[in-house]
Amino acid sequence: MRNSSDKKTGLIFFPAFDWAISPTHPEREERLLYTRDQIFEEGIMDLPQISEYVSVLAKTHDIAMTQFCVPRVEDRVTEAHLIAAGAAILLADEIVSGRLKNGFALVRPPGHHAMRVVHGNRGFCNINNEAIMVDYLRRRHGIKRVAIIDTDVHHGDGTQDIFWHDPDVLFISFHQDGRTIFPGTGFADELGGPTAYARTLNIPLPLGTTDESMLYILDNLILPILSDFKPDFIVNSAGQDNHYTDPLGSMKVTAQGYARLTEKLRPDLAVLEGGYAIETALPYVNMGIILALAGLDYSYVREPDLQTFRESSDLTGYIHRMVNSLLQQWEKRDQALPNPKLIKGNYYERVKRIFYDTDGFIEEQVEKLRICDNCPGYLAIDTEVNHGYGLSDGKALCISVPFTACSSCRKEAASFYEEAKKRKNYRQVYLQDKPSDVFLGYNSVNGQEWRSEG
Amino acid sequence: MYVGVDVGGTFTDAVLLHNGQILTTAKIPTKTDLLESILEALDIVLQDVDIRDLKRIVFSTTVITNLIAGQKYDKVALLLIPGPGLSHKLYDFKTEVCILSGAIDYRGREIVSLNEKEIEETLTRLATKGFKKVGIIGKFSPRNSSHEKQVAEIIKEKYPDWQVELGFQAGPQLNFPRRVVTTFLTCATREPYSNFVNSVRQALAKREITAEVFILKADTGTLPLKHSVELPVETIFSGPAASTVGVQSLTSPDLTEVAIDIGGTTTDISLILNGQPLLSAKGARVEGQLTQVRTLAVKSVPVGGDSILERVGDEIVFRPERLGPAYCLGGPVPTPTDALRVLDLTGLGDEGKAREAMESLGTPLGMSAVETAEKVMSLVVKSITAEVKKMFLEWEQEPAYRIWELLQKRKVSPSIVVGVGGGSEGFIPRIASELGCQAIIPPYAPVANAIGAAVAKPTLQISLRADTEQGYYHIREDGFQGKIDRRSFNEGKALELAREKLLDKAAEYGLEVSPEEIEVTHQEVFNMIRGWNTVGRLYDLTVQTSRGIAVPIKMGGK
Repeated sequence: MRNSSDKKTGLIFFPAFDWAISPTHPEREERLLYTRDQIFEEGIMDLPQISEYVSVLAKTHDIAMTQFCVPRVEDRVTEAHLIAAGAAILLADEIVSGRLKNGFALVRPPGHHAMRVVHGNRGFCNINNEAIMVDYLRRRHGIKRVAIIDTDVHHGDGTQDIFWHDPDVLFISFHQDGRTIFPGTGFADELGGPTAYARTLNIPLPLGTTDESMLYILDNLILPILSDFKPDFIVNSAGQDNHYTDPLGSMKVTAQGYARLTEKLRPDLAVLEGGYAIETALPYVNMGIILALAGLDYSYVREPDLQTFRESSDLTGYIHRMVNSLLQQWEKRDQALPNPKLIKGNYYERVKRIFYDTDGFIEEQVEKLRICDNCPGYLAIDTEVNHGYGLSDGKALCISVPFTACSSCRKEAASFYEEAKKRKNYRQVYLQDKPSDVFLGYNSVNGQEWRSEG
Repeated sequence: MYVGVDVGGTFTDAVLLHNGQILTTAKIPTKTDLLESILEALDIVLQDVDIRDLKRIVFSTTVITNLIAGQKYDKVALLLIPGPGLSHKLYDFKTEVCILSGAIDYRGREIVSLNEKEIEETLTRLATKGFKKVGIIGKFSPRNSSHEKQVAEIIKEKYPDWQVELGFQAGPQLNFPRRVVTTFLTCATREPYSNFVNSVRQALAKREITAEVFILKADTGTLPLKHSVELPVETIFSGPAASTVGVQSLTSPDLTEVAIDIGGTTTDISLILNGQPLLSAKGARVEGQLTQVRTLAVKSVPVGGDSILERVGDEIVFRPERLGPAYCLGGPVPTPTDALRVLDLTGLGDEGKAREAMESLGTPLGMSAVETAEKVMSLVVKSITAEVKKMFLEWEQEPAYRIWELLQKRKVSPSIVVGVGGGSEGFIPRIASELGCQAIIPPYAPVANAIGAAVAKPTLQISLRADTEQGYYHIREDGFQGKIDRRSFNEGKALELAREKLLDKAAEYGLEVSPEEIEVTHQEVFNMIRGWNTVGRLYDLTVQTSRGIAVPIKMGGK
């Protein structure tokens, strides 16, 4: 979507001043208060390069086509979540339709830790705003290839999980090394599923990484890969917690660094993720991102206590070596062979344990990907939440048919769904048929089935 | 008895009211000298009145609009203290601009101090260039006005004869560029405006009129004439405000209606939602520049009864100019009024000449006079209804920053279209039916603007911001800052303080306001959490005297 510059930058500012996870939680009413003060005082909404939009609520169908909310979408989201996801969808619609140059969904609550299956809140997230928007563009606008660049200090593990097996979505995340921060993942050897090798790339950063190395990664890894991948649409999961004042992260990135990153990356749509230095970082970083998207001079944006940060030559050297090694993985992306240990009959199988930090429980998953010579294969996920002491809500089965599925995989997935309904060992059974934009859900306790379509 | 006078571009209207009854009306052509127009209209309605019975006079004038449009003011320099943020190169304020060092942040904390030497050098430079009027505007000055005040002190000492305006007073909302423009306009117009006010007061004194005198503002509230000198720009665009309040007083309360004022070459449209005129979400646009002046959400469509009609290729189009009255009234070119005459929707003018006008347009296109008139009618009606629909859409799409605000957004549609102004009669029924509404042309529609002025009420507003972590509160309108006790301060106390300040201000303005009349129009409370502890609260609230009309107009008693 490289559009001409006479179009405007769309902005949805939705600070959800009446929503918090809990009164003292970082994800609380006050989070975007000072950002509001700053962008209102600067007159950002009056700039001829900016067009302010009001959000709409996302439809539950749009969520159900991307994520399996157990038992149902309505049980896992609040209105605030629907408004945040709706903002991303609305702006994406306007951009793809050619009415906007690009956009920024400056909204909360965030979403990049929300995975394909949703049992509750993880890492302040319930539903994945970017993933829902990306699938919407593919269903409604025939967009084929999408790149998501996650610049939050935390690994975008939810987005990674949703697109792990998807060869048409490139997911690149740089973040603080998972050994020192939530969610503890995002290492360089996490490279995507067997049919989507190197379409997931992770760059774990050492503590104290500055603008210099962040921009080195952008120039030498992200931008070259984007020019190879040729996405139709670029999304930036614009977390702001790499900032040097963030209370949760330990990075040394500045507002100028974030603005420069945005200017070079030229995302079609940026979506706010984390960032909890609500006074010292957010007003300035958000200004920098908005101005960079709008093509305006951002050189006067400056934090009051700005200093010059230097990194050690060890750190810089480490980053250079990692960039080289990931570039080599990218070059090999179409020759890589899947690990034979993962093959179980007709499926690639992996077992996952997912920790929900906010709600404090563990989900156990067996994920099976149908091996198919003609398409990426459908996915069947067996999921159960374990509350400890053997307490469980019962199992659910989630079947997802990808956009480019072949007809025999679509048929097989549909009969898999029907059989699972009969077997009664799952409390819920779901079928997402992306090619036909139809979602089916079945509750075996009361025998009810529900259906939605776009 | 109340008098309302509306000085418009073409006509000056006046009415005399008593107990909601209209006793006298006047309509005269506006002269170049506005004062002369006011006095002439006033003298007509006061002819047989004992002026001791007169309680109140309200004026709505174009004086500020004329001053600004004609640039009839001395040159003004702007001293800006923008600090970091938006690039200073993006500012274009079309006058002498000097950037000073210094910065305040969103919570009113100083982040960069002023540089006195730089200020003095700047002032010397301005003095050499002959400036004697300056606006001082700091970013975030409504949160802390000390920088603006310090610069003003230095000027007062060195150049005591200069006129100085401060940003936090002229533009107390959060929007620095709009604050700059509003301060500039305030600085530029204050002197000529106060000359005007003085001559009005002298003229009234000469007539021994001792009634209270008010001036109408763009937001439909009124200000005592002598206090209007403090905020002259607020009296801009009071014409549409006058018509809208007029409609409000001439129709039943609590309705959702569209008020349409069709004039010679422009049509003003405003919305009344559940009985309240809709204010624009941001401030007024003045001569292309955005300001913080609170104003009604008015749209002007460049079409009216005297617009020029032309044929361009196979199309009939109108041009937003006036060459004189309608052809049927002896004018030079065909106009929408001629179309109305042909369709028998007005009794004005000569029917034969109206037909002639329509034929001159339609015959080359193979249309009869009546067909042409129908075409013109639908052209005018469509351009107005399209704008009405757009206004409702824009209102629905105004941003919301809270979940409840967003959820309560719903489609609102009007039930009534009210026509006022000279050109309404013929067009309003068609416009209403196009919008699925009932058409109303109230009695006294031609002087609804003057009625609006007569019944408009004074509005006063106080905005209080308290920051318990820093231990102070702040009144936005006058920059007053006071200390609060961090522990015992709460929402109730914040409201009480704001109410007290409003009553003080009312007393200063000589207005009777009872505490029950005070409305809370904005209320925001945020807990400030640092780490996992509550370190303070931010309160932001606005109280005002109730909006509305002084008396509803009784119908039928002419």
